[in-house]
Amino acid sequence: MSPMPQPPVPPGVTPGPVPTPVPAPVPVPTTGPAPTPTPVPVPTSGPPPTPAPVAPGTRLAARSLVKRFGATVALAGVDLDIAAGESVAVMGPSGSGKSTLLHCLAGILVPDSGAVLLEGQGVHAMNERDRSMLRRQRFGFVFQFGQLLSELPAVENVALAPMLNGASRKEAMALAAQWLGSLGLAGMETRRPGELSGGQAQRVAVARALITGPQVVFADEPTGALDQATGHDVMRVLTSTCRLAGATLVVVTHDAQVAAWCDRRVEVRDGRVVADVRRSA
Amino acid sequence: MNAVLALAPRLRRAGGRDDRLTTALAVASFAVTTALTLSVIGGLLGFIGRQQDPVGAYQEELAGSYVIFAWVAVVLLIVPLLTLGGSAARLGVSRRDARLATLRLLGVTPREVVVLTVLETAWQGLIGAVIGVAGYLALLPVWSRIPFMGEPLSTGELWVGPWVLIGTVLVLPVLAAVSGMVSLRRVVVSPLGVARRQTPPGLRAVRAVVAVAAMGSFMVATSVGGLPEAALMVVLVGTLGLGFAAMNLIGPWALGLIGRLQARTARTPAQLLAARRLVDDPRAAWRVVGGLGLAGFVAGALAVVPVLASAGGDAEMVSGDPTSTATFSGDLMRGAMLTLVIAFLVAAAAAGIGQAASVLDRRREYALQVLAGTPVELLDRVRRREVLIPMLLVGVGSAATALIMLSPVFGVAGITDPSGLLLLVGCLVGGCALVMAVTETSRPLLRSVLAETSVRPD
Repeated sequence: MSPMPQPPVPPGVTPGPVPTPVPAPVPVPTTGPAPTPTPVPVPTSGPPPTPAPVAPGTRLAARSLVKRFGATVALAGVDLDIAAGESVAVMGPSGSGKSTLLHCLAGILVPDSGAVLLEGQGVHAMNERDRSMLRRQRFGFVFQFGQLLSELPAVENVALAPMLNGASRKEAMALAAQWLGSLGLAGMETRRPGELSGGQAQRVAVARALITGPQVVFADEPTGALDQATGHDVMRVLTSTCRLAGATLVVVTHDAQVAAWCDRRVEVRDGRVVADVRRSA
Repeated sequence: MNAVLALAPRLRRAGGRDDRLTTALAVASFAVTTALTLSVIGGLLGFIGRQQDPVGAYQEELAGSYVIFAWVAVVLLIVPLLTLGGSAARLGVSRRDARLATLRLLGVTPREVVVLTVLETAWQGLIGAVIGVAGYLALLPVWSRIPFMGEPLSTGELWVGPWVLIGTVLVLPVLAAVSGMVSLRRVVVSPLGVARRQTPPGLRAVRAVVAVAAMGSFMVATSVGGLPEAALMVVLVGTLGLGFAAMNLIGPWALGLIGRLQARTARTPAQLLAARRLVDDPRAAWRVVGGLGLAGFVAGALAVVPVLASAGGDAEMVSGDPTSTATFSGDLMRGAMLTLVIAFLVAAAAAGIGQAASVLDRRREYALQVLAGTPVELLDRVRRREVLIPMLLVGVGSAATALIMLSPVFGVAGITDPSGLLLLVGCLVGGCALVMAVTETSRPLLRSVLAETSVRPD
């Protein structure tokens, strides 16, 4: 039984259909680096002999992550520090290992070796049950499509997350309705996923991911099934809501325009981080 | 031979593990349908044989009544059996949708798509029918242990004859193919219409009114004027058939209503999700438990007949045979229980096939829910509630209704000699346990579906 997290985005605070409490970031051009890149040197050959210490203020850290699928090496020693409240885009071509990285960071997959630390706590060493609880209590997820249960109306899809954490139905429904309202979905509460547009469904997914007050939100190609304009709209809602809620955001994408919404861009190739670029504020 | 059709056997082998599993489930359901249908027909033929060729005064006087009761059992069981066969045919077709869509994109004509599907479904029907015939043969020694008219129907009396067996093996694939074609037609007409992702129109209360009105008018019509003896059987069987049709009209509507009530009062995620499922597709729930409704009612009503007979003194139904009344009432009860048991077997197969289809249809939703931290046990709980609640309402509820309605008639006698009631309770508990056990077969399927989706690099 966890305490009910309060909605970081109370209804009525942000007028208009979409909350834009912070100025929306200016999308950077798809070609070339971000406006003022701050390259971070990354070791590209093998894990260091002793794991680098985790810097203060780091929420999620990966140390020497290795993951194999049969003969395929999906992750070949990844080190990554993600600060609290930061938004990070993980980019890379198909087969680069970016989704595996997300799955390891989120406690969906267990790395063959290496460590994943959430606030210093070893996620990689937890059993399946604890990782499952971690995912529903401290993480939030936005997938490409199809994560909403088709029988449930939008508001119940969102309310399911706090209910799974022990909230009463009444509390959960009230909170879910607030969240839908603050994400510009007032009046859509009783619609079912099949009756929502792709963009609306992704907003419901954002509400479901954030309603539990997660420390980290993982988004796996969240705009992959949307047209470009709707995709930008969803990214604006996702990044601004995470920022307002103080949640760290990790987005896996192959789309540079999507990545441009994030504070930082990490490129993965052949299971290694080959570039790590911060956009200066 | 057409090049596309020449591909049929290859396509059949090319499917993955899920494809093999759904094929196995479809074949198993066809087999259950065949074995039980043949058994029911065998029983009917056995009683007809005793009527035509009676041995002793008891059979001479009462065999005709037994034929009527056998017909009643056939009426009660044939609709659930056909529904099960139809579900099996649909399961196979819905699994092939994606592949058929790809074939269409590759330029295969709609006609060829239909023929491919028909071939596959007919093939499954054929294998199921053959296994079902073997199952019927294996069940013969079981049925021939149950005493009727003082002695069990022998395997010879229950034997339907080679022509019925050959006919079954030939007809079932055709029925399966037609059923598959009908559900495929919906795919061909509107590929998007198959996925039910919108709020379905509620089943209207008009159904209940129509059903009750039909029943009432029939009862009035039959009570006016005396009917000739020969028409009695037609009237009795007809009434039952109409009752069954009425229940099939009201059943899904009532289940949907209960689902809405439960959705309103649900407090846990499992309660909420199971209730929403029922609201979403009450017909699917009814397809599983519908057969239990009348069978449960009849079994409930007849469970106390032996008590009434023994309480009614020593009136002899057949002169010179003091045990005739007890034999007759005992047979009535046994027949009702047997019908209930068969109805439970059909329900178990339908529940198994329905839950497997449900897991496969929702594989992506489920996998992503579990990735987001939803415990797998929640999905298990939802599945159990989804099957258990309609079954208790319809199966146990109808038996209980019958008992309550008859309680003024049997009074304390039911308590002084509870053997019939105990048998009824035993059948209900055993039947429910069987249905739940068969439903658990989709537990490993769920696990394998979840494992495949999450461990996929990039």
